[in-house]
Amino acid sequence: MTWTAVARKDFEDAIRSRWVAGLSALFVLLVSAAAYLVRPAPGQTIGSNQILNSLFVRDALVTTLVPLIALIVAYNAVVGERESGSLKLLLSLPHSRADVVFGKVLGRSGAIAAPIAVGFLLPALIFVVVPAVNFDALSYLGYTLLTAVLAVCFVSIAVGFSTAASSSRRAIAGAIGIYFLFVPLWGAVRFPLQFYLGMGGGPSWLPLSGQQVLRMLTLINPTGSFKTVSNAFMQGALYTQGDVNMQVSATLMLVVWILVPPLLGLLWFQEADL
Amino acid sequence: MAAIELDGVTKRFGDVTAVSDLDLTVPEGEVFGFLGPNGAGKSTTINLLLDFVRPTAGNVQVLGFDAGEESVAVRRRTGVLPEGYDVYHRLTGRKHVEFAMRSKEVDGDPDAMLERVGIADAADRKAGGYSKGMRQRLVLGMALVGDPDLLILDEPSSGLDPGGAREMRDIVREEADRGATVFFSSHVLSQVEAVCDRVGIMREGELVAEDSIEGLRDAVEGGETLVITVDAASEEDLDAVRALDGVSNATTDGGTVTVTCDADTKTAVIGALEESGVAVKDFQTEETSLEDLFLAYTEGEVSA
Repeated sequence: MTWTAVARKDFEDAIRSRWVAGLSALFVLLVSAAAYLVRPAPGQTIGSNQILNSLFVRDALVTTLVPLIALIVAYNAVVGERESGSLKLLLSLPHSRADVVFGKVLGRSGAIAAPIAVGFLLPALIFVVVPAVNFDALSYLGYTLLTAVLAVCFVSIAVGFSTAASSSRRAIAGAIGIYFLFVPLWGAVRFPLQFYLGMGGGPSWLPLSGQQVLRMLTLINPTGSFKTVSNAFMQGALYTQGDVNMQVSATLMLVVWILVPPLLGLLWFQEADL
Repeated sequence: MAAIELDGVTKRFGDVTAVSDLDLTVPEGEVFGFLGPNGAGKSTTINLLLDFVRPTAGNVQVLGFDAGEESVAVRRRTGVLPEGYDVYHRLTGRKHVEFAMRSKEVDGDPDAMLERVGIADAADRKAGGYSKGMRQRLVLGMALVGDPDLLILDEPSSGLDPGGAREMRDIVREEADRGATVFFSSHVLSQVEAVCDRVGIMREGELVAEDSIEGLRDAVEGGETLVITVDAASEEDLDAVRALDGVSNATTDGGTVTVTCDADTKTAVIGALEESGVAVKDFQTEETSLEDLFLAYTEGEVSA
């Protein structure tokens, strides 16, 4: 079990790329800009949770941009080493192929979690001292952590593609395809579908009600599961109030997205000639 | 126990056969030179030992472990300088050696290892800026981490200047003296003859010769190369020459015929040529070197 050595090497390598510094700056800028845009009128105050729940942070940054960036950070993780030849160096050391795949998931997760942490926590230093912001430290840290978990889901998806793809072009095609499926396309289809199913429509041959179909669609998409968990968390209701079953299912779905894509990639990789 | 044991191993990529029904045993503690021209199947054989590729047929055992099922155990005791590798461009030389140490779960001083392979002064530089020779030294250093029982070096001298190639041979000797088995490939005989106990020569996926350097020398002892100037000779004219006892190799470019043979077959060679209707204008003889024999094997005119 040397996957932590692989992860450490990969993280050390990835944080030295310009990507990570650039992303950190971008996240700091976006969270700060979001805070500025939702700033309260003079003399009034705003909760830090309101900043996080704003359209800018939750919908634009976290569930739109973070998945895309996570996919970009990770799509080349395995296939890139395969194409350059450094995979031969890696596998001449005593790592199993599973060590390589899960080490990569962990290493790239660190490489995306670092800019997320910097991006949220650096502006938080200002929120703490500015009297116009009521800073809720627990919610803020929790939300940062959940954002990192969402990023890890997409890292896992991208590493899965990267492990099974024969070229980095195929890996990025898979990653971009997943992104368009789960982010713009899902968003475009969801609203009309919600309206249609809400009106009592839906295929009568399915043994499910329209509401159940909608819940399933929300859960399957990692960003949907993330929103279910994070909304409940921000209301202080996670696993205690509201639709607890839905929250538990959403949490499990996030775990599934983290574990299953790399495992599927590994199934193929185990049999492959380098 | 043999350090390396291949038993009827075949590897096909699509309809290309890279290695064909190969049997090869390297005993523990031996320095084995694996020779052959590029494309002969040397790297594929090495990739089979490391489980980079899986055999189409046959059985591969390394250090008593199954090379496929127990590959991690094999690689824990093996240091590897692979072919066609790349380094991590953003990581320093020291980081590379530290990574090898963590991967092999051994403690050690990365700087001492970099010193041993001669790149201590570049320890803090990113490996992306290293020359080919420095990368070879770095990866050799990673291979030596943890005093492996087996060293597998694929074309270790490539990219090294003559001084670097000599240091590489010195390290191979040190490792062999420590008791390690060394298996290394080369397409240049001179790089291996000084350090090898035994060599194997690959051609087109098959092992065409397997002998000690002394054995090979004995095979060429007294052998001569006869260079004959003729009016015109074709491949068919050489058949009679090749059929003679004591002739190991015969080639022609039309105007000259080159024959490797025992010293006392020279007259018979000339006679056979003239009987085939080739007019001999002149001839001279040269002693056959080990290099000539190697070339004769790898160019395919001799079979074991």
